[in-house]
Amino acid sequence: MLGDMASRAPVLTATDLTKSYGPSRIVEGFSLTVSPGEAVALTGRNGAGKSTILRMLVGAVRPDEGRVEFEGLRMSETNPEIRKGMASVIDDLDFFPDLSVVEHLDLLARAHGVPDPEAIVDEVLAEVQLVPQSGQLPGTLSSGQRRRLALGTAFVRPRRLLVLDEPEQRLDVEGVAWLAARLKAERARGLAIVLASHEPYLVKEVATRIVAVHPPAGAEAVADAVADGGAA
Amino acid sequence: MARARRKRGNQHAEPKQISPEQFVVEVPDDPYAEYEGREWDFAWLPEDETEVVDEGALHALVKSWRHGRATRSIGDVLSDAYIALFSVLMIGAMIVNVIIGSQASSAACDTAACLNGRLLVPWGMFFALGALTLSFARLFGPVLASAAEGFWLMEAPIGRGRILRGRLWAIIVGAAVVSAAVSAAVAAVAGEPFGVVGAWAAASGLVASGLVAWAAWEQSYGRVRPLRAVQALFTTLAAVVLTTMVAVAAGWLHVEPPAWLGQVPWFFAAVGGAASVAFGAWAHRRLEHFARGRLTSGGSLVSGLQGAMFGLDLGLARDILVDREAIERGHVRPTAGRWTGAGALVWRDLQRLARFPRPLLGLAGAILVPYASDAIGLSLLTPLLSAVALMFALVPTLGALRVLSRSTGLARMMPFSTAELRTASFVVPALLALVWGSATLPAFLGVTGGVPRDPAVAPVVAVACALGGLLAAVRWQTAKPVNFAVPMMATTAGAVPPTLVFNLVRGFDVAALVTAPILLNVSPLWSLGIAGVLLMILRVGFNMEEMQEQAKEQQKLLDAERARSGR
Repeated sequence: MLGDMASRAPVLTATDLTKSYGPSRIVEGFSLTVSPGEAVALTGRNGAGKSTILRMLVGAVRPDEGRVEFEGLRMSETNPEIRKGMASVIDDLDFFPDLSVVEHLDLLARAHGVPDPEAIVDEVLAEVQLVPQSGQLPGTLSSGQRRRLALGTAFVRPRRLLVLDEPEQRLDVEGVAWLAARLKAERARGLAIVLASHEPYLVKEVATRIVAVHPPAGAEAVADAVADGGAA
Repeated sequence: MARARRKRGNQHAEPKQISPEQFVVEVPDDPYAEYEGREWDFAWLPEDETEVVDEGALHALVKSWRHGRATRSIGDVLSDAYIALFSVLMIGAMIVNVIIGSQASSAACDTAACLNGRLLVPWGMFFALGALTLSFARLFGPVLASAAEGFWLMEAPIGRGRILRGRLWAIIVGAAVVSAAVSAAVAAVAGEPFGVVGAWAAASGLVASGLVAWAAWEQSYGRVRPLRAVQALFTTLAAVVLTTMVAVAAGWLHVEPPAWLGQVPWFFAAVGGAASVAFGAWAHRRLEHFARGRLTSGGSLVSGLQGAMFGLDLGLARDILVDREAIERGHVRPTAGRWTGAGALVWRDLQRLARFPRPLLGLAGAILVPYASDAIGLSLLTPLLSAVALMFALVPTLGALRVLSRSTGLARMMPFSTAELRTASFVVPALLALVWGSATLPAFLGVTGGVPRDPAVAPVVAVACALGGLLAAVRWQTAKPVNFAVPMMATTAGAVPPTLVFNLVRGFDVAALVTAPILLNVSPLWSLGIAGVLLMILRVGFNMEEMQEQAKEQQKLLDAERARSGR
């Protein structure tokens, strides 16, 4: 089944991405192709450029050179077609200060036209263990609860690609175990996943391919693939 | 490196077909194994007894660190302050000149009714200043300490009274000075004689200082409810005075002010002065009981706001206040959503308004503005003042638009284009603007002594002002923060990003642009035209980087097409 999924057209294609901040080159020549049913984990030390790569993949940061495509469409984070298919939980996710936890999930489900939104919202709310906090405003949540809410926003809406930046951050041990199982199940259903992670358990359980991103060597950031199964 | 080069060489190749076996990767079972047995260097405290700390010396030490890191001399600061003060005075003089000029040219306020209505302006300002003072006092403390003081000094075994007493009295005196100055300026612009201006300045200043001293005393007990109650009372009185002023000036209500009314400001001043001394002394005696959390919470709010104000980012400053209010509230009763697609956003906006109806009070206040402006003889400026008042009233109703604009994470999760998202966020504020336009129509017909307009023209003016206020609020909420990464502009105050200056006038620029044809006595249809153009721009946003990127992409396609056809 995974073989069938992988043979489908790629969901995400990144070609020769390069990014510098001022004189520092953060990423150079990074390429990646992700097909349905694949989960690619970016690993590497702090400052290696993983988050910058993810931000370029979702269109939050424009690469200096190179190109990102989602299902053949040039990546633009304002393109509604891309927004319909790509869910991302990276460090720029914001919440409405005056809407409660459950209202955020409900709003996203309804915005995407999910049939019977209340049922799916209740299920996801229970899954991310935020039922007791359903009426809380986001500003009062603990950092772990905020992370669970952010993950919940990705699971109440349709998606064909999921991009996650260190999703295990601030989760307790049970939370990491749940997340690993959830992402494995998502992958088995044909979802393409790209995640950056420092959690070996999560990477081992979820990733079908690991890309080790190295910190810049001299003026260059070098990214290469370990167990290269498809990264260009 | 060789691997990287090989990878780049393959970058344009079709994706490989992957067999399931290749999905199996090796990850070490114990990633910490390689650090086992490693020698780490740890730092430990000496075994000696700790010394007794003197709070004064500790404070002086922190002060000397801060002064030691100063990058500008006192001369630089005075020079900049002179330029800033000069600019403020110049702009202030221009504004006052415009107001006085418009008063003189309109000559609309020469009836007994209008003059009696004007007498109420200082009263309205007095109650409004009282409400504002309590609001700020509640928000910031009023006594506060920085996070650094909270962490470094208040954790130490020292008496906090010595650190706080100076700032307690500084805040009490500062409130008096600011309130007196504002009150005096408003009374003077309203045309009051010098004696009356002085009386109201004393009343507003001393009552504000009394309120701050009382708030400080309440802070020592951790109470805020009495402050809320008195703030609500002052707000209600300000609204009543404003409404009465309009009614008197329009001739709907006849009031003959009794002679003793002129002595009331002195009575207020006496009460305020006594309260500031009494409550100030009691608060001083209780300085040791001020909770550290409450002190530093005000301090961190101030430092957050300071950061926002250094970037002249009023939107960020408001975000900080909104977040703080939401944290104080903490919990709401969740309500079910309705509708799907962009309609879900509209429904949530309606629910927000039902849950937090305070913006409706602002809208009610904004409805009074054109009437009040006409009533005190500022008819020529009424369209601009009305649009600006509506802008302030609508800003709180555009909270969703603000969150979706300030960072892209949440907007990226929504399946809509920027234009669709913004349009959905406009709907409820646009309905409120429509209500405002209908309610202010009589003012634009000239019923309160303003410019009399044809019944066919007045609705156009009302709609134009409503659009001006709405679009100004949208501009205020969607303006991007200052980008310090762009080339800077050289000024006497140093390098300044070009957008920094425009950030301060955001919103006001749109209100002025839309109402300019009406102020210049040109057909108000021009205002509608300008509003239409601005609506189109604000609806889609203005992303220069993305537009440049799209242009480059088009150019590349064109070049490729030319190369193919051999031209």
